[in-house]
Amino acid sequence: MSDQIPETPLFVRSHGDIGYPLNKMAMSLCQAENREAFKADEEAFLDRYGLSADQKRAVMDRDWEAMVRLGGNLFFILKISAIDPVPITAIGAAQAGMSHDDFVYGRLGKVRHG
Amino acid sequence: MAELIGGLGTSHVPSIGVALDRGLRDTPDWKPFFDGYIPAQKWMADHKPDIAVVIFNDHGNAFFLDRVPTLAVGVADRYKPIDEGWGPRAVPDFEGASAFSWHFVDQLVENHFDPLVCREIDVDHGLQVPMELFFGRPDAWPVKIVPIFVNTIQYPIPTPQRMWDLGRVLRRSIESWLTDDRIVILGTGGLSHQLQGTRAGFLNREADRAWLDEIGPNPEKYRSMSREDYVETFGSEGAELIMWLVMRGAMDARVKTLHKHYFAPASMTGAGMIVLENEDAA
Repeated sequence: MSDQIPETPLFVRSHGDIGYPLNKMAMSLCQAENREAFKADEEAFLDRYGLSADQKRAVMDRDWEAMVRLGGNLFFILKISAIDPVPITAIGAAQAGMSHDDFVYGRLGKVRHG
Repeated sequence: MAELIGGLGTSHVPSIGVALDRGLRDTPDWKPFFDGYIPAQKWMADHKPDIAVVIFNDHGNAFFLDRVPTLAVGVADRYKPIDEGWGPRAVPDFEGASAFSWHFVDQLVENHFDPLVCREIDVDHGLQVPMELFFGRPDAWPVKIVPIFVNTIQYPIPTPQRMWDLGRVLRRSIESWLTDDRIVILGTGGLSHQLQGTRAGFLNREADRAWLDEIGPNPEKYRSMSREDYVETFGSEGAELIMWLVMRGAMDARVKTLHKHYFAPASMTGAGMIVLENEDAA
């Protein structure tokens, strides 16, 4: 199955190949000791998993759009938000290139309460 | 023989579990969502199933990308809820219907499906959240479970027709299971959502409502849609909806839609629920 639907990256082999170190690093954050190591020295931790320079920068900048473009899959890279809390809607807004309010109340059509 | 007493469908959005954990059930954002599940919870309490077969996708928590089974079936006596990185949740362990699981695996292979058979495996929000939505948060779950793991994350994902055929084998497995067990099937995932790419946040309320209206009386169109059609119509992660076809394929051609509920957005997802019974149910 090909990856040809506009604005819709599917997790096909090409993404999986380049994203493997990034996704593997992110999933390791499910273990408390890895979360501690990440917090203690982020760059050294990323080096352990062999991330490319671009991937390292994307993680350290919390650039969610770049992480996905560089092969990150949301279900995996989301683990970074267990260390550095950010709502998933903010990750979505970053990818859509929209402000958080425009994304949540415009694109998602959430109703405002108060 | 065992009896298939109903087929249910539901979203499994992780934020639903988080909302319950944080006591947000009755906040304005969440109350309309959770209240819509009350009829299904009552249906479950009234019908007292013994076994729930739950079709869901793991999200990298039990299987990483080092090995991705397209189809896996749990045969364990017990399944632990996974800590997905935010700390353990106050969700009880799930007791496995291991005898029926093994019978089902046997029937699968007999019918040319080749599942990964899992004796020890944990279950993530894909299974936890549907169980919480239909059974609440009891001290112990009132049913035993059979988890069916379908890969919907790494492409190629299985086809809609394959999911339907899996449901047919599940039905035959229930009918050849010589016990008095009362069995429900929970198809999970969806409805429309997309978490990645510039189309992130894509929702399709019209298609979601049509799905809930039509999956009972007119499932053929969904069975014959391609995977590309699912991604285009329901978003990249919304393609998870193919897992509802296992449930629907296991039911009779003629079903009654007893309850349905729709709420959007739940986090970034169009959230839906349905309760089906066979028209000619005893």
